[in-house]
Amino acid sequence: MKVDRKEALRYLGYGRKEADGQTQRLLDGVAEELEQDSLPKSIYREYGCKVEGNVVSFGNLDITSSSLAKNLEGCERIVLLAATIGRAADLMIKKYSVVNLAKAAIVQAAGAAYIESYMDEIESEIQREAKKQGLYLRPRFSPGYGDFPLECQKDIFAMLECSKRIGIALTAGNLMMPSKSVTALIGLTPIERQSCQMAACSQCEKTDCVFRAD
Amino acid sequence: MNFKEQLGKKLLFFDGAMGTMLQQQGLQSGEIPEIWNATKEDVIVNIHKSYLEAGCNIVKANTFGINPFKMEGTGYTCEELVQKGIRLVKRAIAETGKEAYTALDIGSLGKLLEPLGDLPFEQAYEAFRPICIAGEQAGADLCLIETMNDTYEIKAAVLAAKEHTNLPIVVTMVFDESGKLLTGADMEAAVAMLEGLRVDAIGLNCGFGPDVMKEFLPQLRKVCSLPLVLNPNAGLPVVVDGKTCFQVTPEDFAAVMKEIAQEGVSIMGGCCGTTPGHIQALVEACRDMAPLQLTDKNRSVVSSYTHAVVFDDRPKIIGERINPTGKPRFKQALREKDMEYIFKEALAQQDRGAHILDVNVGLPEIDEVEMMREAVTGLQGITGLPLQIDTSDGAAMEMAMRLYNGKPLINSVNGKQESMDTVFPLVEKYGGMVVCLALDENGIPETAQGRIQVAEKIIAEAAKYGIGKKDLLIDTLTMTISTGQENAKATLDALHYVRHTLGIHTTLGVSNISFGLPQREKVNTAFFTIALSKGLSAGIVNPGSDAMMAAYHAYCALNGSDPQCADYIGIYSQQAGQPQAPAAKPGDLTLYDAVVKGLSESAFQAAQKELESREPLSVIDEDLIPALDHVGQGFEKKTIFLPQLLMSADAAKAGFDAIKEHLKAKGGASASKGTIVIATVKGDIHDIGKNIVKVLLENYGFQVIDLGKDVSPENVLEAAKEHNVKLVGLSALMTTTVANMEITIKLLKKELPGCKVMVGGAVLTQTYADMIGADFYSKDAMGSIRYANELFAVS
Repeated sequence: MKVDRKEALRYLGYGRKEADGQTQRLLDGVAEELEQDSLPKSIYREYGCKVEGNVVSFGNLDITSSSLAKNLEGCERIVLLAATIGRAADLMIKKYSVVNLAKAAIVQAAGAAYIESYMDEIESEIQREAKKQGLYLRPRFSPGYGDFPLECQKDIFAMLECSKRIGIALTAGNLMMPSKSVTALIGLTPIERQSCQMAACSQCEKTDCVFRAD
Repeated sequence: MNFKEQLGKKLLFFDGAMGTMLQQQGLQSGEIPEIWNATKEDVIVNIHKSYLEAGCNIVKANTFGINPFKMEGTGYTCEELVQKGIRLVKRAIAETGKEAYTALDIGSLGKLLEPLGDLPFEQAYEAFRPICIAGEQAGADLCLIETMNDTYEIKAAVLAAKEHTNLPIVVTMVFDESGKLLTGADMEAAVAMLEGLRVDAIGLNCGFGPDVMKEFLPQLRKVCSLPLVLNPNAGLPVVVDGKTCFQVTPEDFAAVMKEIAQEGVSIMGGCCGTTPGHIQALVEACRDMAPLQLTDKNRSVVSSYTHAVVFDDRPKIIGERINPTGKPRFKQALREKDMEYIFKEALAQQDRGAHILDVNVGLPEIDEVEMMREAVTGLQGITGLPLQIDTSDGAAMEMAMRLYNGKPLINSVNGKQESMDTVFPLVEKYGGMVVCLALDENGIPETAQGRIQVAEKIIAEAAKYGIGKKDLLIDTLTMTISTGQENAKATLDALHYVRHTLGIHTTLGVSNISFGLPQREKVNTAFFTIALSKGLSAGIVNPGSDAMMAAYHAYCALNGSDPQCADYIGIYSQQAGQPQAPAAKPGDLTLYDAVVKGLSESAFQAAQKELESREPLSVIDEDLIPALDHVGQGFEKKTIFLPQLLMSADAAKAGFDAIKEHLKAKGGASASKGTIVIATVKGDIHDIGKNIVKVLLENYGFQVIDLGKDVSPENVLEAAKEHNVKLVGLSALMTTTVANMEITIKLLKKELPGCKVMVGGAVLTQTYADMIGADFYSKDAMGSIRYANELFAVS
């Protein structure tokens, strides 16, 4: 797996513009270091799921969230997923914040691009498995999106044993460390046209975001 | 016989999985298994019994997941569930009439420790403490710290067990397919630390089945002198119909385990997916086999949180630059608590090829214990090099050894009884190699013979603490040849004897040899080369010196410790063609251009040059600020992007550093436009945005008090009051932490109505900022500069 350089530049604000040589060189160096030192790990499990009104239920968990319920409407099964690229990115950010702030910002962007690529990889794996059952993937939905409470991280961590299996921990404020980590729910739907990879932007409340895709 | 007496003499057997068995009994995904100690005692007892019937001699109590964080809100305390868990094992043993040991089972807290996470080391220690105490009180025979993937967390658990119980300690870890812990530590590093902490057995559990673990073992046997433990899974987890399964059968499991036992192991058992069937097959296959024959691997090794450094025939470089002696700028950094300066010294030495970094942060006028704490925790957040703790203050030494994530090198002990009485107990407790200075109450012996005698005294005293020769590094003391012609010879003769006759590794502070002489590097390099050839194992030198590093690399190529001269060629073949990197040539660029182009070194040199003929203020106002403005405007117009803005910011910072040095030399102080307190709010740990704002504000002449991340409202208020500031900057990344931002603003507005608050962060918008009562919302770093400039210009 490679760091998607173009995506990293987009996160750095370049849009579709070419990066200057200096930035490009720094990015190449950072990307190689990340590819070398990161330890991507993931874990996912499938559960039966029920959506009633604003409440989504699976395993032992009932989550009240209208945006999650909307996302999972009609799904009888979901995949609960957690993934991380490991601690290298965070360590690099700490180190470069001391000696080269530009590089720290580039690690931030490249790390984000890297975990996204990793998520895409896992999602295609899940897609392949789901297809065998005639199911398709809904866009993934994470705690903190819309009104899906961040508090649910605790339950998700317990269900997937995130700390033991892939080494992600929660801070007191329910943030994940390593920071380049993702937890998500993916609905499985029998109807192909309901599956849609163009995901989160339209559901996000930050309408002035420079990365917004709609 | 107790557990410790049996260990290593007889092959012992752990039981298998608890979780797997509980799931079969209806434990739900996400449910806390240890609560069943209180609610379903019989289920737990029956599982223990089935393992006892299968033939295991150590039963893991159902206490793995018990810790204060997980128990919060369950209505149970850690102590009661631990005690119940231990008693259930005891009950099962009594009811079956079998002989077996009860293991207090301790797992990870599920939190990440500082510096990456938010859990301070001492809090991790505090979390483990009640578990250990309750376990021993309830009658556990040993403490099993298992499924660990972070050496720092292991150290907290081991110290808690050591300091509050007398239980033997067994540690098993999860390595991934590359043979590393999730923290990046390799086996050598983990083993070095754990042997230093004097645990009783080390091993592997979880993660893989026995087949994969078998591949890891030769590596582990090679470096580890302690009994080895192996608790594999029943293969890799496979998801079938949404359920996690382990598919290695008892027969297959036992077959591979038998092969492993033939190669040598001390305790075997099972982890996830293993059942009484697996343990029974295992015990039947291996019951009468002999345990691993223990041998001292006799390795002289220190470690960091990533890797080990072994003292052997290839000499090592210990970087000496983190030390205030004779360095006014370094002293200033210590007095101002300028950790960044110290961190930069560390990274520069790392880039230059140092293997270990000496850390000396003592000054009479500062609190050395506190400074040592900051230095050690900070340094191990940014560099993976092992540290050499350099202090004569026992309290500072202990603080550093306790917080150090690995097996440190200690600098130093000497032959004075008082010194040995202080240092050796610490090494005994925390582990470490220790530099031994060949001097005592009678001073520094003049002759080689005298120094050897002191060394032998130290060796004998160390042995009383169980500290072997392998953990000593004898310093035969470099004395300048400017005061005595025999000085070099005495040092070198003693060095040779210690290394080759006593068989102990050696070290020297090399550059002392030339004190008082001109062009010291010439003498230093010659002496360094001679010392290396006499058997110097590690030189304490300045890795920034090209000549010293050249002497080092040439020596390694000559003594056969640089195979195919690969390192030598790698380093020096490139340098020959291009003596100077063209871009770094001073004088080519104006200060303005250097900042705009983001070239720090050029900016520093250009600034120095300008200061020869111009006033500092004019350099700032006419060159630095206009260059920053130019870049800032480009950033806002989107012709220049964040990385370039930051490169320019760093370059401008280098320019300001030159000005600061200039002013300092003249005895003046740099003027500040005003003081601003900044912080990332409570609960939030993402602070790169705040760090960017800080550097830019500093560039524009503001003094910035950076409170860091995860800062409570009270601390922000306190700092704002203390520094009497009229502007506070707050950042938050998450919607959830914006709530803490609001609380902080409310508190500031109530207590300091005149103080303005600017905010920024990913989820914030103007509307949001207005809602929480901020005075200014900055969508990017340049916005905060504009606001600060306006605010401070008005007054």
